[in-house]
Amino acid sequence: MKLSRSKTYKAISAALWQSNPISKQILGICSALAVTVQLQTAIVMGLALTLVVAFSNLIIALLRDLIPRNIRIIAEVAIIATLVILADELLKAFLFDISKQLSVFVGLIITNCIVMGRAETYAMSHGPYDSFVDGIANGVGYSSILIGVAFVRELLGSGKLLGFQVVPDVFYSAGYENMGLMVLAPGAFIAIGLFVWLEHTLLKD
Amino acid sequence: MSNQSKSLLFAAILCLVCSIVLTAAATGLQALQQKNVLHDKHRNILKSVALIDPDGRYDRGAVEKLYDEFIAAVWVTPEGEIVAESDRGQQDYPIYLYTREKVIQAYIVPIDSRGLWGRILGYLAIESDGSTISGFTVYQHSETPGLGGEIEKKWFQKNFVGKRIVDRDGDFVSVQIAKGDVETRVPEPQRPHYVDGISGATLTGQYLSAGLREILHKYEPVSIKFRNNQIQSVPDGNS
Repeated sequence: MKLSRSKTYKAISAALWQSNPISKQILGICSALAVTVQLQTAIVMGLALTLVVAFSNLIIALLRDLIPRNIRIIAEVAIIATLVILADELLKAFLFDISKQLSVFVGLIITNCIVMGRAETYAMSHGPYDSFVDGIANGVGYSSILIGVAFVRELLGSGKLLGFQVVPDVFYSAGYENMGLMVLAPGAFIAIGLFVWLEHTLLKD
Repeated sequence: MSNQSKSLLFAAILCLVCSIVLTAAATGLQALQQKNVLHDKHRNILKSVALIDPDGRYDRGAVEKLYDEFIAAVWVTPEGEIVAESDRGQQDYPIYLYTREKVIQAYIVPIDSRGLWGRILGYLAIESDGSTISGFTVYQHSETPGLGGEIEKKWFQKNFVGKRIVDRDGDFVSVQIAKGDVETRVPEPQRPHYVDGISGATLTGQYLSAGLREILHKYEPVSIKFRNNQIQSVPDGNS
């Protein structure tokens, strides 16, 4: 069997590209707007979300025959919420500065449609391995857009990448100025819009 | 077992497992988290007296070394006497002294003010003349990012430097956040007591102004002693 025909490959490429959670399904926009001023916060947020989706998918897939149908949404939320709080506690203990910058947005992963969506539409009807891979793929799909947007915003908005100056001083003395709009929320809207446009155009061909 | 009791049993077990996991994580990580919070406070105290640059990168050790060298955590009585940690009474307030070679350069007052959405915590440093502000920092707040949240930004905080909490006659006037730019909104003689406001965050400014007034008023007895040069040295056991 060729690699490109395997189920896992299809699931991964769908999540990364054909039905990317942000640029195709337009889910999880709230956090994508809020934490993309800097690359560093975007990367940590992407990592936290990826871990939460992967493990919530895994746990829910393992329990899928046990979870009673009538309370399945509540059970999913309880599992997701536990994982999110766990992630928040770990960030506070080991990456304190970043957890301060992410502030409420880590907690808001609970309400991120991607996590709920994958749990409900995928993990409830697939095996643990497939669900785990699906979670990782969706998390990476989400992170890739986040990192792309943050790259554009940090570069244009503050002339830095990962906190290090990349636009040389010569530019500034020659009259170059940082694009203030990119630091504000509208800049994120525009950047995400451009990414969505780009993907839709490329997919059409 | 009926479907309903099965659901109830499942819910109960799930809740139990989740709470055990979270309790274990919270208690296990508490020590580390508290250390982080304390370190963050030290960093902010140093920032308020410009011992570290807000943009700079400092590792943990460097910050703690600076803190140990220059900052003394002491207490102040309601009458304005500075006492060492060991002599602390029930009514006393915390205060931090920035000293260089046993001479007090500035004193730092913890700020705990009401904001629009929650408490604003930070530090306000005042020079040893007891009337000129030498720095202001915020380390915790829940204001709206981009609006009231700008209080944590450098442009807002650096406007406090050099402002005076007393007027020309030496009477206490506190420091306030103007509604808009000081240059256009505040008459000339008042300007030393106002900092530029944040557009779109008038209420945050008002609450913070009120909070600063209340806190500075509480610390006024010790400020008066500083103005009259009655405090020269750090109390024993804390230098």
